[in-house]
Amino acid sequence: MTNNRINFFKEFFSSPDIYSKDGVELLSLSSKFLKCEAQYRSENINDLQIKKIAVLGSYTTSHLVYVLRLFLYKEKIAPDIYEGEFNSINMEILNDASVLYSFKPEILLLLTSDLDIKDYPPLFSTTEQINSWVDVKIAHYKNLWQRVAQKIEGCQILQSLFIIPTHRPLGNLEVNYIFSQTNCLNRLNMKMIEAKPSNVTFIDMDYLASYIGKKTWFDESNFFMSKQGFSYDAIGVVSHAISRIIATYAGRVQKCLVLDLDNTLWGGVIGDDGLEGINLDPNNAVGEAYLAFQETVKSLKNRGVILAVCSKNEEDAARVPFEKHTNMILKMDDIACFIANWNDKASNLKEIAKRLNIGIDSLVFFDDNPAERQLVRQFLREVEVIDVPSDPALYARAINEARCFEWAQLSSEDIIRSDTYIKDVKRAQLEQTTQDYDLYLRSLTMKARVINVGSAELARFTQLINKSNQFNLRTKRYTEAAIIQMMENAEEYALKCIEFEDKFGNYGIISSIILQRINDTAFIDTWVMSCRVLKRGIENAVLEAIFNTAKSWGSKWIVGEYLPTKKNNLVADLYKELGFAKQTKGEGQGEQKGTIYNIKPFSVEIKHFIEIIGQ
Amino acid sequence: MDIKEELQEVFRDVFDEEGIVISNEMTASDIDEWDSLSHIQLIVAVEKKFKVKFQTAEIIKLQNVGEFIELLQKKLNK
Repeated sequence: MTNNRINFFKEFFSSPDIYSKDGVELLSLSSKFLKCEAQYRSENINDLQIKKIAVLGSYTTSHLVYVLRLFLYKEKIAPDIYEGEFNSINMEILNDASVLYSFKPEILLLLTSDLDIKDYPPLFSTTEQINSWVDVKIAHYKNLWQRVAQKIEGCQILQSLFIIPTHRPLGNLEVNYIFSQTNCLNRLNMKMIEAKPSNVTFIDMDYLASYIGKKTWFDESNFFMSKQGFSYDAIGVVSHAISRIIATYAGRVQKCLVLDLDNTLWGGVIGDDGLEGINLDPNNAVGEAYLAFQETVKSLKNRGVILAVCSKNEEDAARVPFEKHTNMILKMDDIACFIANWNDKASNLKEIAKRLNIGIDSLVFFDDNPAERQLVRQFLREVEVIDVPSDPALYARAINEARCFEWAQLSSEDIIRSDTYIKDVKRAQLEQTTQDYDLYLRSLTMKARVINVGSAELARFTQLINKSNQFNLRTKRYTEAAIIQMMENAEEYALKCIEFEDKFGNYGIISSIILQRINDTAFIDTWVMSCRVLKRGIENAVLEAIFNTAKSWGSKWIVGEYLPTKKNNLVADLYKELGFAKQTKGEGQGEQKGTIYNIKPFSVEIKHFIEIIGQ
Repeated sequence: MDIKEELQEVFRDVFDEEGIVISNEMTASDIDEWDSLSHIQLIVAVEKKFKVKFQTAEIIKLQNVGEFIELLQKKLNK
């Protein structure tokens, strides 16, 4: 029976079924899963990432934890969970000897409630009085955040902001006076955001509650009986949202939206109906729906999501609307990779990932044709396939509900990135016309800046470490909080990043390196690089920077390690190619064992065509 | 299927035990996994299955499965 169950859950976690289950079904599934969790975990351990998660709440969290566990497995995360007692946030964090501190979670979920607030400012309070009330609350949370940062190295806090309750003593006047409970909570939420340190990520619970509808979100009877913070109807949506955020800390990040064309971006079939026949008519309700969807897609592109097209069409015909239709919101310049042919879409998606140099699991597929979706689900399980509704009016909603593009933070590199992918295509054309590769590299007029990581680079530096899967030697993930601790320990650590530009544009920061000084050795703890800049000699420029740091430390040796994962085969021989020698004796740092390489600083000649600015 | 049999199905699913046979005298102490948390889960599952909604007072008054069936019957006859 257990084996049947294991197979059932294997199938379940690789399908989208979990998203359509209601609270009762999810609870029933989780209690069944709990009984075979240990076996499921050991059988699939190579596919899963273990994360230590602590959950503290102002309300009972047991059922949420049950269901969250399922959603985490869906994200290929095997959680070790410590769940605090009911209403134990302050108790656990303020007590040095608490279980929380001996458990040492990587992620701490703090589920607060507006019911924590018993002392609203009195009616007719002035702005000044309300602000000082807010300040007291903020000081309380700041203290909690600091204590966690001090006591648990690298712990990331996920905290829910306050939900605006449906109970409004002043009725509609709540919104008309600054001293109302509604507005005091709004102000508190806003000030919390302003005070947010980098080891805290907020969860927008008020959005989730509004999305479900607060009438459904609150289940008073349930709260009075068992202190559940929200109803069973909300449990799936909350778990989904939280699991997505946790997944970003495990490096599961989706970057690229792959779109079909006919009946997805416009109504009709371009090959049959022609330019005049497709529906992009702003005066027609259906045409308007397609335009609204394009608007949504464009807004994703503007926030850094890469767009690609995968369509069964003649390429020339497929391009026509982008080039000639005046109502099209998306233009050829928005699309980083355009594939229109008659091959199967699974192969085409692989090709898109290859051309853009990103992992297949960073693709999100949007196609109105259920047969194509089925095919991709079957042959490329890593790709997130969106359940596209049959009515185009609901396309934009479908993409929002899938919560695909949850990233741990936003950096300015994200915003320029989708454009640099498009420049990559132009660069590839130049590459084809230039015969001699060295000559080609010279013609790019590349410049790299080696930067000691400071607060300005922190977000991007951390993001690269957590998002890179392919050019990543050891695949160690660090939270911002952990990075800050290393930054403050300059005796032991050197944190460098590389900003890069060429004649086609500025790429921003494309590589993060962490060096650790261990006696007379400089150990390369982390070296990640964006795959968009491969084969440009940047590896050699980075090695030069590593040599320089090692020299300044007086290190005799530089040691690097390659820890193989499913995705980083790209750099399996990197150290060898750079001139390192394979170390036969000795083992890697930490519990996993990789291949160890070493080299003496400046013992090999470094060749590249990049102008290095600053060291 | 009568109410008792349908209710038994819900019990079997919530407590994940195919062999459960419910009786009027049965209480929470007769099923290992029947705690305060799974109790709420049971109530919500029953509400969904029979498309009824219980009042807070009705739920906390329940002493055994027999009373549960009685309450259900009352709700369904309305």
